[in-house]
Amino acid sequence: MEPVIEAKHLSKIYGKGATAFLALSDINLKINHGESVAIVGKSGSGKSTLMHCLALLDTPTSGELKIDGEKASKLKSRKLNRLRNRRFGFVFQQFFMNSNETVLENVLLPLKISGTRRKHRKRLALEAIETVELADKARVKSKNLSGGQKQRVCIARAIVNNPKILFADEPTGNLDSATGEKIIKLLFDLNHDKGVTLIIVTHDEDLAALCDRRIRITDGKIVVDESIKHVTRPAARAINSKTKPANTPEAKKAKKNQKKGVRK
Amino acid sequence: MKFTDILKSANVNLFRNKMRSFLTILAIFVGSFAIISVNAIHTGVNDFIDQQVESIGGDNYIEIAPTAAYDQLASMMGTGEITKYNANKSSSDATIISEEDLSKIRKIDGVISMNPYYQASVDYITTSHTDKKYNAVISLMPGGGVKADLSAGNQINSNSSDYEILISEDYAKKLGFDTPSDAVNQTATFGVKQSIKCYTVANPDDCIATLDAKIVGVQAPSILSIGGIRVNQAANDAIYNLASEGIAPDIKNRTPMATGEIDSTKLNEIRADLKKLGFTAITIDDEVGMIRTFFNVILIVFTIFGAIALIAAAIGIINTLLMSVQERTREIGLEKALGLSKGKIFLSFSIEAIMLGFWGSALGTAVAMILGFIANNIFHQSGGFLEKFPTFNLVKFTPESVAALILIVMFIAFIAGTMPARKAAKKDPIEALRYE
Repeated sequence: MEPVIEAKHLSKIYGKGATAFLALSDINLKINHGESVAIVGKSGSGKSTLMHCLALLDTPTSGELKIDGEKASKLKSRKLNRLRNRRFGFVFQQFFMNSNETVLENVLLPLKISGTRRKHRKRLALEAIETVELADKARVKSKNLSGGQKQRVCIARAIVNNPKILFADEPTGNLDSATGEKIIKLLFDLNHDKGVTLIIVTHDEDLAALCDRRIRITDGKIVVDESIKHVTRPAARAINSKTKPANTPEAKKAKKNQKKGVRK
Repeated sequence: MKFTDILKSANVNLFRNKMRSFLTILAIFVGSFAIISVNAIHTGVNDFIDQQVESIGGDNYIEIAPTAAYDQLASMMGTGEITKYNANKSSSDATIISEEDLSKIRKIDGVISMNPYYQASVDYITTSHTDKKYNAVISLMPGGGVKADLSAGNQINSNSSDYEILISEDYAKKLGFDTPSDAVNQTATFGVKQSIKCYTVANPDDCIATLDAKIVGVQAPSILSIGGIRVNQAANDAIYNLASEGIAPDIKNRTPMATGEIDSTKLNEIRADLKKLGFTAITIDDEVGMIRTFFNVILIVFTIFGAIALIAAAIGIINTLLMSVQERTREIGLEKALGLSKGKIFLSFSIEAIMLGFWGSALGTAVAMILGFIANNIFHQSGGFLEKFPTFNLVKFTPESVAALILIVMFIAFIAGTMPARKAAKKDPIEALRYE
């Protein structure tokens, strides 16, 4: 099967001449459908730039990027916008939501942009809100939500258009660990249940360890690209690794799964 | 994004910062209000002039005066040239139309008639229906198709040798007639002072002669036609002759002006011929044109003021939208990341600008219309200066001018909005999302 994203000799240079800064250097990678990939690295290593390039938010200086086998450089801006709108979902560390609008309005923004019919758009948004378990908050203004709830709204917004690839830039960066776990569970549930390809940019090694694959970036170069063999379902691991003692019903269930070695 | 959604979000964004939008709209409001108000007054006045001119008619009427008279006027103002003395055409003679001149003028192709104009005046007017005498100012009702706006009776016959006059409604009442139509075909009596005779009599009343004339019509109030009493050529000349009885004809018949009837299709040729003979012609259109020019100048001046206000308002729009773009940097970045095209972001901000323009101009027009309506009502009330002109609205709005103003202001707003809208459309989503 064709990789969903394929990068060949991708480079990104900021600035010109003496002040030029090499943000990405000769990146080669393939991401397959349904994979969960962690891009890790220190601040300024180029991991965010890589994600922006993969998400077509930024254009590489040289090299080639293929989305579903199609060359990104050949795409017209209209098709590019459509691609981002229909196939990608974005979750940001700082949430980026309109705090004066309700949860529902925030979640249906991608559908509004795609021009989906009003009725249809509302139904899809409510479904997405249900997925992140915020159905009772649909009519609440976003500014009245907690950080964790806001990030769940962002996830709902990211999945409302049923994307193939979900890009998450430090999704737990602004959250306390307990709330962060819930978000991680949500993301991996999507990965497992719906087969959404997950690309997470993080400097949290624990979060990275939950993914199928870890790509480490240093000074704009891939220094490590390794698969992580897991026995258990990542969502369960997430709960397991952080909650001690594991007495919550979810953790118990996870333990049970771990024993059985269940993996969906 | 659907157009209705763009429209909606532009509207929401507009009212996000209410005070800022309100102040911007206020600036547009002031400019629009000034322009539409002065335009409405101009329309009202011009309509009234048109209405009056149409009622006056007089395409064939012409007034002639020696061009030298205008030159002398210029000389008085210090702008003319000092010319050499010529015994045959001295300064005092230069401004007079002689019988010789008149016969030359009458020969010009297209001139139907030409009469010397004598400034006749009377001491009083009275009728058999009242025992009182009233002061009166008379004026010549010219021929050439000039019509008075009548509320009763008929037009004067300029060519008749009978003495015919028109009186105003006010005079009709004073002279003992209950309604204007009661006055029609009644006889009025003028008292005419004979200046020479007054030197020879002891009692001033003894040198006042009387002259009877027929009231053929009653004039409706009008601002263009001279009110008071209008007389035909025969009556005017008779009164003049009566008043100047005993004065030598050479002196008596000196006149600086002649009036007559022409074929209006030959006006330009007649003007040229008259110019060669040293005369300047003035038609009713010329006179009305002067009034119009006056109002046009007012219109232009106020429109310029309004336009300046609108330019300031346009800068306000740019400022407001630039602030809005700055505030919404993240939102724009997110929308772009989520696949909203440049064109639609541009459109969204342009619509916001156009909406500012629309609200400003629509409110300006609405308030101007309400105030105009109130003003018209006040002027028409008893005691108001338009009391006697129920059909004349000083402030008159036409749908075309209102629509044109709103559209023009919306267009100006759009142009002003292009700069911030382009700035918004060009925002780089990553930069925008990084922006704190």
